[in-house]
Formats: sequence, C-alpha cells, structure tokens
Amino acid sequence: MKHLFSPLAALLLVPAWIQAAAEAPKAAMNERHKSLLQDHCVSCHGPDKQKGKFRVDELSFSLSNLETAEKWQKVLNQMNSGEMPPEEEKQPAREAKADFLDDLSNVMVAARRSLSDQRGVITMRRLNRREYRNTLRELLGVEINVSELPSDTGTGGFDTVGSNLFMSGNQFEQYQSLGREALTEAFAWQAAAGVEKKLRYEAETSTPVVEKFVAYQIDARERAKLWVKAVEEAAALPENKDIVAQLKKESKNDAIFRRSWEKIPGAPSPRSFGFDKKGENDADLANDSLGAGWLPYHQYYVRQPALDRGAYLGTQTRHPAELNVNYIELLVPFDWPVGDYIARVRVAATNDAPPERRFLDFGIHARTGKVMATHEVTGTMDAPQVVEIPFTLNRGNAERFDRTLFIREKGSWDTNEEGGRKRSEALKRNSIGPELALWVDWFEIERVPNASKPTPPGIASLGLPLEDKAPAPTPQEVQAALERFATEAFRGTEPPADYIQSLVSLFNVRIKAGDKPAAALKETLSVVLSSPMFLYLAEPTADETRRPLKDAELATRLSYFLWSAPPDAALRSLAKRGELSKPEVLAAQTERLLNDRRAEGFIRAFTHQWLGMDRIDFFEINRALFPRFDTATKVAAKNEIYETVEHVLRHNSSLRDLLKSDYVVINRVLAHFYGLPGVQGDAFEKVSLPQGSPRGGLLGMAAIQFMGSNGERTSPVERGAWVLRKLLNDPPPPAPANVPAITRLAGKVLPTHERLLAHQEDPQCASCHRKIDPIGFGLENFDAAGQWRTEDSYQATDASGKPDPKTKKTWPIEAAAALHKGPAFNDYFGLRDILASKSDVFARGFSSALVEYALGRPCGFTDEPLLSTMLRESANKDFAVREFIRTLVASNEFRTK
Amino acid sequence: MKPSLTRRHFLRSSTALIALPALESLGFRRFASAAAPVAPPKRLIFLGFGWGITTESWFPDIKNPGSDYEIPAGLAPLARHKADFSIVQGLCNKYSNEGHWGSTMWLTGANRFAEPGQNFHNSISADQVAAAKLGLSTRFASLQLNGAENAEASGHGPGLSMAWDISGKPIGGQKGPVEAFHRLFSKDTTPIEQQKAMLAQKRSVLDTVLGNARAMQRGLGKNDTAKLDEYFQGIRDIETRLNKDEQWIGVPQPNAPLPEPQPGLAGREEIKIMYDIILAAIQTDSTRVLTYRQPVSTLLTSLGIKVAPHDMSHYHSTLGEKLDASQRRDLTQSELLSSFIDKLKSTRESDGSRLFDHVALAYGSNIRTEHNLDNCPTLLTGGGAGIKLGHSIVTPKDTPLCNAWLTLLHGVGVKAERHGDSSGVLKELLA
Repeated sequence: MKHLFSPLAALLLVPAWIQAAAEAPKAAMNERHKSLLQDHCVSCHGPDKQKGKFRVDELSFSLSNLETAEKWQKVLNQMNSGEMPPEEEKQPAREAKADFLDDLSNVMVAARRSLSDQRGVITMRRLNRREYRNTLRELLGVEINVSELPSDTGTGGFDTVGSNLFMSGNQFEQYQSLGREALTEAFAWQAAAGVEKKLRYEAETSTPVVEKFVAYQIDARERAKLWVKAVEEAAALPENKDIVAQLKKESKNDAIFRRSWEKIPGAPSPRSFGFDKKGENDADLANDSLGAGWLPYHQYYVRQPALDRGAYLGTQTRHPAELNVNYIELLVPFDWPVGDYIARVRVAATNDAPPERRFLDFGIHARTGKVMATHEVTGTMDAPQVVEIPFTLNRGNAERFDRTLFIREKGSWDTNEEGGRKRSEALKRNSIGPELALWVDWFEIERVPNASKPTPPGIASLGLPLEDKAPAPTPQEVQAALERFATEAFRGTEPPADYIQSLVSLFNVRIKAGDKPAAALKETLSVVLSSPMFLYLAEPTADETRRPLKDAELATRLSYFLWSAPPDAALRSLAKRGELSKPEVLAAQTERLLNDRRAEGFIRAFTHQWLGMDRIDFFEINRALFPRFDTATKVAAKNEIYETVEHVLRHNSSLRDLLKSDYVVINRVLAHFYGLPGVQGDAFEKVSLPQGSPRGGLLGMAAIQFMGSNGERTSPVERGAWVLRKLLNDPPPPAPANVPAITRLAGKVLPTHERLLAHQEDPQCASCHRKIDPIGFGLENFDAAGQWRTEDSYQATDASGKPDPKTKKTWPIEAAAALHKGPAFNDYFGLRDILASKSDVFARGFSSALVEYALGRPCGFTDEPLLSTMLRESANKDFAVREFIRTLVASNEFRTK
Repeated sequence: MKPSLTRRHFLRSSTALIALPALESLGFRRFASAAAPVAPPKRLIFLGFGWGITTESWFPDIKNPGSDYEIPAGLAPLARHKADFSIVQGLCNKYSNEGHWGSTMWLTGANRFAEPGQNFHNSISADQVAAAKLGLSTRFASLQLNGAENAEASGHGPGLSMAWDISGKPIGGQKGPVEAFHRLFSKDTTPIEQQKAMLAQKRSVLDTVLGNARAMQRGLGKNDTAKLDEYFQGIRDIETRLNKDEQWIGVPQPNAPLPEPQPGLAGREEIKIMYDIILAAIQTDSTRVLTYRQPVSTLLTSLGIKVAPHDMSHYHSTLGEKLDASQRRDLTQSELLSSFIDKLKSTRESDGSRLFDHVALAYGSNIRTEHNLDNCPTLLTGGGAGIKLGHSIVTPKDTPLCNAWLTLLHGVGVKAERHGDSSGVLKELLA
C-alpha cells in the first residue's frame, strides 16, 4: 500500500472531474505553498525554535498517513481561526493566504477520503431501516411504521454503506417487537381478506345543522341584548352606585363587568334569559351570544344554492365542536378491519371559484391536518366529478382520530395561524369571510377485498391456518412450516437444522405456557425476523480473496440495489438455475427490475440522499410571506424531484435533462404554482415548457430552491454550495470550525450582494466563498419558495422583534456574476447554460454516488477505472440514465465480493 | 465472549462478577439502614444542549476569573447558586470538526477519522466509563434520556443518545418523559415463577439467534466477522441485562415519587419533567449515572420563538431576532437548571445530607455556537466529585475537555487512567 503514496505523486491538485484513471490519490499539498510556510511560520516552528513543540519545516507535503494529516489539520485550524501567524507578526498576502487555505482544506478532504478508502472491500451489512421495512412488506404483505429504528443516515454516506450500519442489543429487541407487529398485522390482513364494506355520507346532512345554528345565533343575540339591558338598568339604580363603580374599576370592559352581575342587586340572572354555561359563568355565554361571532358568514352560507343536495367546504368559524363548516369528517367504523380502502368524493367548484382555489385536500385527523392527497376539482355545479383516493388502514389506525378521514379546501386551514390569516384577509375584503369555492355532494369509503391478491410469500410459505379456532398443527407440520418460512425470510438460504430445532422448541414452550397456536407461531416467527440470516446480507469469503458472487448473492445485491427489497421468485429461480450471472440475463433482469413499481424504492431513497433533500423538511416556510406555498404545494414540490428522476429513468432519458430541459414533470398543484398550462390528468406528468421559462431541470424546481433558503430568506451560500456539491462534483470542504464570524455588518440592512462581499475581505472566508457565492447570486431570482422574482427587500427588526418598516430597503435582483476562475454570466439563464455545459462533471458525481449506493461502500480512488467505464459507456448514449446502471451492474465490482 | 464459548460459560463468570455488589445493594443496604447509615453513593449526570449558547452573554468575563466574578446575563437565573457551580472556559475536544454535532463526541473526545478505512469512529463516553463501576448495584447501570424530538434539529449530531459503549457504538435511550417514566416505574405484576419462565424463554430466544449467528459466521472474512461481532455484542449486552434482571426478580419496582407525565409535553415543559424524572430515578436509587440529550428545537417552539434552531446559532451575522432567540434560550435553560439545583439541594439522603452533595453534574455542549467547537460551554455543579465550586475558571486555551471528564470520574471514585484525549486531571478544578 505504501508505494501508492509516493511523494512523487505530490503534484498539482487537479479538480476531481478531470482526474484520469489515477493510480494514486492526490492527497498532497501543492509545493508552491512552501514559501508561505517559510516566510511566516518557520522562524517560530522550525530548526531554531519549536514553539508549541510544532515544526513545519519537517512537515511532509504528502499526506500519506494519519499523523501527517492531523498535523496539517492543526495548521488549517490555526490559520482558519486567525491564531497563526500571531497578530503582531507579518501577515501573508490576502490572495496567497486564501489560495493556501483553499488548497489545504481541499487536500484535507482528499486525504480523509484516501485514508478512509476501503480499497474496494465491501463490508457485510445489515438491512437498513428502509430495506427492513420493504423486506417485511414483500414477505408479509404489510407495511409497518419503523420510525423507532435508527435512521441510518447522518454520518455522511449513503444508508447502504455497511460499515456505518451498526447493531446493538437495544436494536435487536426493536427488531423482535417490530417483527411481531408485522406478523400481527399480516395475520389480521389475512383474516379480513374477503371483507367488503361501503359507507356513504350525504353532505347535506349538515345543512339543517347550519340552519339551526343561524336561527339559534339570531335568537340568542336578541335574548342577550335584553339581558344586557336589564343588567344596565339595575346598574343605573342610584343605590348601586358604589358597588358598580367598584366593579367597573376592576373590569377591563363591559363584558367583564357583566360577569359580576350577581353582585349588582336587581340584575337578573343570564339563566333567566336562557343562557346556561353548564357550571361555568353563564354571563360568558350571554356575552358571547351578543357578538354572534361569524353570523354573517353562516347566513351567507345558508343563502347558497344546492344545500338540499350537498354542503360547502368553507373556513373555520366557531369551535368545531359547536359548528364546523371548514371540513367534512368521516369516521371509518371501528369494526371495519385493516386493509386497502378507497375514498370517493363527489365534488364541484362553485361558479365563482378562482382557479387557485379549486383544489381538494384529503387526509386523516383534520386537527393536525396532515395532507395525504390533493386533487384539482374540475367538476362544476352542473356536472360534479367523483374524485377517487386510495389509502390503506392498518392496526396503527386504532384510535378515533387515526381513523377519521377529512376533506377540506386545499390550504384553507393548514394551521390555525395560516387559516386565521386567510380568513381575516377575506373579512377585510368583503366583511363576511372567504368566499365558498367547493361544494360536496357526498363522501364515501369502501373497503376493497384483497382476496384476489396473491398471498404474500411469507404467509403462503407457512401453509397453516392462522385463526385461533383452527385445530393445533402436528409437530411435523410446525417444523415444516418453520423451515419454509425461514428459507423464504432468508432469501432462499436454507436454515441450519439445529436452528429449526430451536425454533420448534420455542414454539412448544409457548404452547405449554398456554398460547394459542397462532400466537405461539407469531412469537416464534418474530425470532426468525430478528435472526442474523434475515437481518444481514452475507457474502461469505475467506480473507483477502475476492471471488465472483454466487448467483443467489447476485440476485440479492441486484434487488436491494434497484428495489431496496428482497429478490422475488423470478429472480431467485434464475439464480437457482445458475442463469443470472450470464451477462444477457443479468442485463434483462436489470431492465425488468427498473420497470417494476418496486424501483420506486431505489429512486426515492437514492435521489433523496444523493441530492441532500433532508433540508426540505428542515425548515417551515413563512406562510405570511409565501401564502401560496401551502402544505399541499410543499408536498408536491418535493415529489417533483422524485417524479422527474423517475420519469428520466423510466424513459431512459439523458441525465442532462436534470441540468436543463424543455419540459417539467408536475401535477396540477404545481402547474398552478408555476403558472404553467397543459397538465391533463390527476397525477404527475410531463409538460412542455414555453420558451424562456426558468423551469426545467433541477435548478428550476421550487423544492431545490426552497432547500437553499431558511423558509424566509434565500441563502446564496447554501445554494452555491449545493450546486458545487451536487451538480459540479466539486464539493467545498465542510464548513470549517472556529472561523471568527464577521460581525462588522451585524444588524445592518444591506442588499445580499453587498452583505456577501464581506466574505471576500478575510482570506479564511474567501478561500471557499469566492467559489460558492457567485453561483448563489445567479440563483437570486428565485425567492425562498422558488417563485421567480425580480426584486428583493429586507427590513431589520426593532428591539421588540417586530420588522421595522423604516429600515426597509428594496433592491433589484442582480444575478450577473462570474464563476471563480471561470466564465461570467449575465443572468440566471446564462448560469444555467454554463452548468448545463458541464454534464460530464455532473455525470461523474452521479456515477460515484451510484457506485457508493449500489456497492455499500465509499467510492474510492480504486474505483477510477469503473467510473471511467460508466462515463464512457453512457456518454456514447448521450448520458442515457439506464446506461450508468447497466454498466455498473455488468462491472466486476458489482459482481464480486 | 468469543462466540465459540457457550452462553452458560459466560453466565457463570458474569454472575460471579455481579453477585457481590448486588448483595451489598439489595440485602446489605436494607439491613444496614436499620443500623448505622451508610455513606450515600455518588451520582453522575450529564445534560447536553446541542446548539450551544450565546458566547457574549453566557460566559463570565475571562479577565476576571476566581470566585469574585460577575454573573453574566445568560446565567442570571443561576445567581442564587453562585457559590455552588463553576464555569470552566478554554476546554475543547481537539478532534471535533463537525459544526452540527453538539453531542456525538461531547463525552467521548474521539477522533471521527481515527480508524483507517472508516469514515465514522467513536469511543466510549464518560458516563459509560462511570456506569461500569457505579452501575453494578442498581437496577439500571445507567439511563440515557433523549428529547422527544429529532436530535438533528437540536444540533446533537448522530447517535442514539449521548452515550457510546465500550466499542464506540451508539447506545439507545428513552425518548421523552413518558418513555422514561415507564422504563423506571412501570410495575411488573407478573408472578415470580412466570417471570423466571419468561427469562428462561428470553434466553432460549438468544440461544436460537446466537446459533444462527454462529452458523452464518462460518466462512466470513475478517471485516465481516468484525461486523457480525456487533450482533454478538448486542446479544451479550442483553444477556448481561437478563442476568441483572434475574438478580432483581422479586425486588419490587420502586413507587414512582411523581405522577405519570402527560403525553406530548414538549420543549420547556419536557425538560422540566425530565429533570423531575432524573431526580426520581436517583431518589429511588434506580440508577446512579444519567445522561439527558435535551431538546432545543421544541424548546424554541415552546417559547413561541419562530427562528429555526440552526439559524439561531448563527446569530452573529444578523443579530436581531436570532440573537434574541439565542439569549432567551440561554435564560430558559438556566432557569430550568436553577430549579433543578434547588431540588437537588432540598432533597435529603438517608443520612440527612443533601442529595446535591453527592451528585456530580456537567452541563454543556460540544458546540459553543455557530460552528465553533472551541471553548465548549461547561458548567459543573454538585458536591459529588469534590471539585472546586463557585469559581469562574479559565484554563489554558484548548485544554482537553476530557480532562474535565477525567476529573469528574476520579471525583466520583472511578480511577480511570485517561479518557478520550485527556492529558491529565484539571488542576484548576481540584478544590
């Protein structure tokens, strides 16, 4: 291994993408920096003096071992924090220092990478959290909540990298209990396989309720007026003067004053006017009735047409327990079993409904408002439409609120704050409240029998009756069932005989303890689901020897790569016959797996981690500033990324489309958000873009730009760094620790450009920011929600934390900038063209991410030949996305342990 | 345990190891309490708060160390305890370089890159070093408590709690007050015979999966064997726990000295209740070593602060609402700690002394604020480790934080030679 780090390799640091199939890593500091060390460091840290017992003159410029790397890290830390050279000493020139820090921080990254290189060795790994969930799903036909397991992300690599996937005693017990839960769920699904149920709620059921409430409000208001008058008359009596004066002094307003009616001699009780607050102060009810809150809105509601046939989805007015015209709820009856369900809504947009309000949100538990689906309503009052929404119900949906479905106008009440804001805006406009936009005829749910679906392989393998009433199976039957189940769970590997014997005795112990056979079986099977042969993907091999994968291992590696799930029967039987390793069969299976719906397991997980999408859930948008970016839009924006990658993969389009394209893959919600016509169906689909549209490609996506903000303001730094990391495969070194913050500008209102220019003053900052910031400037036309804008503004907050309008400053967006040591651009479109011309760099980053994800180990310098092959083969086909995957799967690396 | 050894073999040796102190704790102490009071045991608590503090208003003036310092604004709520805690400045974990990891290496001082060929490495945390000794005679060797929220949002970094085991692998913990409460006080009403039978059954489950692991181990190379060792270690940990459970069969769970917490408590309320639960765990001698990875994200929400937590820690660039959020966070955390100290002082041990005098408590984070990992905020309190209290202590810059941990360990009677990257005990802390 030593010879790879020959000091002769210490040459220029070449940008990662033009490195040829390098033999040695470039973790070496450029020799040209010797003079900086000589001029500024050696006098104290050299042959004469060794302050802090540290010498730089003997520091090797080749970072070939941890010790040297740690020493250079010290140099980096000291210079970044501004400690060295000491203030009173001569300082290096700004540019030279910036270059030095730039190179050194990149060399440190390269050194870390090469020193942590696994040299092609793939560590055996356990199933990660997603794969564990998917594997249970494929085996037992049910999906359970696995969020209690560790997420397996956070250490920087993909969640498939074996060396980062740990195991603990705690986790073993979680696997056992989750396995038990999955089995219970699966048994319940089996028991209910044939159940068919249907229930329809006619929306006009609420009409008399609203009408009655209006009549009640009017009547109560009259009674309240009479009571108030009577109280005031009593208060005016001369003999009550003193007590009234005292009470008024204690009360903030008249309503509060009236709460003390009892202390005023002669004042009648609210109850005598029909106000009974059930044990609380009756005056509160009378006071409230006097205001008759939202009566005009309720009156407006009952004036609407078609109330004899349906109901409207309005805003929240009274407490929902009193009156609810905001959403329609439907409880799935408690005795309806787990299974696949369909919700249907017959719905219409009112004649005056503006286009942006013709959307319906569907979800469970209206109060928390988690939106599960959003549909555009195209039906009219004359011709309403039926919207169909499939969903599943499992054992987790046991409590009332977990099985109460709701429909509501999109975004009308995502949160109390946001709903209230929309309501008061409408109130200002029309003094009533939000105009009614959606009308519902009925809302129904149906449980779809799953008897026709094939029995999940794990359940089928048991071949035992699973009801408690069934007769106990014979010992032979139990043993055979356990054997078949374990083989299925272990992806075709036959379990050792003594293992099966142990399982049989566990089963018998449970039976002796009084368990019913089904319960004992469940307990025993949960042990299988926490056994190493289930949890680990093992490819046994003696030390230091590389060998081709056996067909069965290849099947497993392929299916966990492209499905994040176990190989199916077809793949396993090809493996069993020894055919899978034939190149043409392997290629055909790769195609089949990519065409299967399960490929979503790969697409979503890979895309999410590759593009660093966890930032999307990091921030909430400020809805007062970006009212259109409601919950449904955020969900759709996130899905746009997945759907676009999926589209590219399904159609084997060019990877270039992700940099720039003349189409987008959007649904109706996003079409509205972007102002783009042309979506035909109810799902995501490809839509052509008009000339000059900023959309098309990753940078045109709202969610990508949203990630480069904090939900309120854009962050050119985040955006620039993301582009360098994900699109240009030139990741800036991680944000260094302990760099002194620039506080000079704190509290000042400055345009973004000017504020960020401060980064250029300090070499510690400039070393990275001169690369990062210009890209961020080019993206400034996208606001924090990814909408196009031409100006930006900022106002400081005053001492009380409120924005101070006096400080408001508005400036036009200036997107023109120049890449560091690169071309200049005039605007976003110019920047996009520059980036689009770098598809080879992008393809390299994509390839190395694929290699890491697929092989479950970091992509190291030993993978250079593989990367070159992937790039060459795919470049021949205009970077068709499947070409990368095909080449990778066909490679020795993929087919070797 | 080498996988080739039988579990029985292991059982024998580990029971022998555990039996003596268990005897002391179960029988002897109960008996002894009737006669002469025994000295109360030492306890060690670590409270970590992810994103750090506000540098300018949390630290005492560095130019005026000693006992006669002025309490800074961020610590104002702690003024009444001024004589009973020390602030130490200048400490850091020199290998730390992840600006978003406030807890991952806080108690370990590990070098993430220490292991060639790996991009994540950690080592044992100080609490676990202590638990190996202080934990022998309690129902739980240690307790790991976590905020009921996503730890990333609070700047804690990777990990299942603040604790890392002897091989540097993450140790899981209880998430939120309800889980913690149940872990400590849920009554086991199962008859003893049945408990024994269940224990036996759990052991046969472990035997079964161990058998499976051994079968799989055949033919594995060195790396893969090392990976599978984690599984063996996991099972071994459960074995140890089962052995301990066995000792505790028939010993009733203590009565909870507080009611079951409401579900859904978040932020400020959560921390308050968690402190009560920590106190209850100590009062009932359920454990003597605790860590609590406090929520920060929900703390902000519970104070009505809208600033995102990570953003808050970058208050330098804009000041305004971010700085305000940062300082309000400091104040609230200090208030919560202050009332916790009140309770530690007012709780009495069986010999009449204050619980406070037998507790060593460290409060801080690996992050100062922003991405700054130097001068880690460190507040030490409690009389348990016999350290110097009531002082603002300034150590030479970049003194290993692990020196402080080593000092605490020695103070509570755990004579470790070194911990993490420690270079010795902190002389400045010695009273």
